[in-house]
Amino acid sequence: MLSLKTSVPLRAEPKKKKKVDPRREIMMKERLKKKLKKLERVPPEMIPIEDFITSAKSFDDTRVREAPELSFEESERRALLLKEWSRYKRSQHQTEMLVIQEALEAQTQALEELKLESEELYKAAVSPDTDIFPFQHDGPCYTPPLTSYEAPEGKYNDITRVYTQ
Amino acid sequence: MAAPFTRVFRPFWRIITTTTSSRGVRNVSYTSQQWSAQNVKTAGAASPWALHGAVCVQRLPVVSQDRSPIEEEFMELMSKMEFERSLLADHELKLLDDAARMSRKQEEDYDSDEEEDYRDKEIVTAQDLEDIWEQKLKEFQPALRSQGNDQKEASSSERCLADSLILLVKKDVGSQKLWLLPQIQWQMGETLRQTAERALASLPGADLKATFLGNAPCGFYKYKYPKDIQKEGSVGAKVFFFKAVLSSHKHLPLENNSFAWVKKDELQDFLKPEYLKQVRRFIMAL
Repeated sequence: MLSLKTSVPLRAEPKKKKKVDPRREIMMKERLKKKLKKLERVPPEMIPIEDFITSAKSFDDTRVREAPELSFEESERRALLLKEWSRYKRSQHQTEMLVIQEALEAQTQALEELKLESEELYKAAVSPDTDIFPFQHDGPCYTPPLTSYEAPEGKYNDITRVYTQ
Repeated sequence: MAAPFTRVFRPFWRIITTTTSSRGVRNVSYTSQQWSAQNVKTAGAASPWALHGAVCVQRLPVVSQDRSPIEEEFMELMSKMEFERSLLADHELKLLDDAARMSRKQEEDYDSDEEEDYRDKEIVTAQDLEDIWEQKLKEFQPALRSQGNDQKEASSSERCLADSLILLVKKDVGSQKLWLLPQIQWQMGETLRQTAERALASLPGADLKATFLGNAPCGFYKYKYPKDIQKEGSVGAKVFFFKAVLSSHKHLPLENNSFAWVKKDELQDFLKPEYLKQVRRFIMAL
């Protein structure tokens, strides 16, 4: 009875919380969730198409090139050359169309003759060819390919912008 | 196409009711109907034309064509107009800056401390860069566009790189040797396209790989045999042409006298007029 009290108070009752508090906490959580949902309902930002945006460099005044003065003869020559070109292109187009028409006629005649020959062969000829696509062919370049050429290896930094929604 | 039968065709009900005596007749009359209606493969044997499949292999151009004078002029005009309407590029701005800086250096009251940005760095002017690039370009030697225009070797597939070439073969037809597109006789049970593929594969000494453009023939040519060869069944032959694009470029030595790679304009030196008329229709050389 004369020693000091060393034990932890063991008989104190914890403070009772009021019943309104859990309900209040639940209400707060629901309100937060609703706010989050409202924020999420916003449609995602569209990914900008870089080709459609004129870069700021085009509006730079320091980059304007001095427009040369065209003499009357020069502008006349240009106008006449443009007209000559349109005539040339038209005749080129006409020859192309004729050539294509000729080839098509030759093919239809060949198919008619084949029909006269045998029905089965005609059906086989007219049936679609599934193996031809994908068709690949390297078109003409300015100089023919060098047979023993090794292209030099180079490093490059890819700076394309990648957008995520 | 019913072959003429001299036997009398008995009416249907009599054929069913009679038994052993008329069985031979019934079978024969039935089989004649079956043969004409269903068996189309052998119908070819009844027609007087022999079928051949031929292939028109094209080596497409490897090099672009030279421009005509008007095209050159127009190209020049277009590049000039584009240049006039354009804005200055980054490289050109640098050139102008360098030129301005050089002119400032030449002045007497030049104070290099004013150039804040360039004091410590090594100056590589835009002009230097241009010279470096030009030197690098000169180091590269491209192949020649035209390796001698008068290439007499008609059998080389490397001639006339700017045009599309067609393969011709010299073949014995009857008594003559003629230049033709490679062709071979059609066999029973294969389509004409397979005949054309066989024609390409059967060329002696050539290892050509080509992609056939579709199942349908692009043209045909029919000719009659001369009177002494015409037998009962065959009046002549029909040749169906198929187009193909050469995919592999193996330079195997082909026999000089029997192969030729020719342009469309040179075809008239090789082919007979009637044959040429039909072949020219489907060869498009623009």
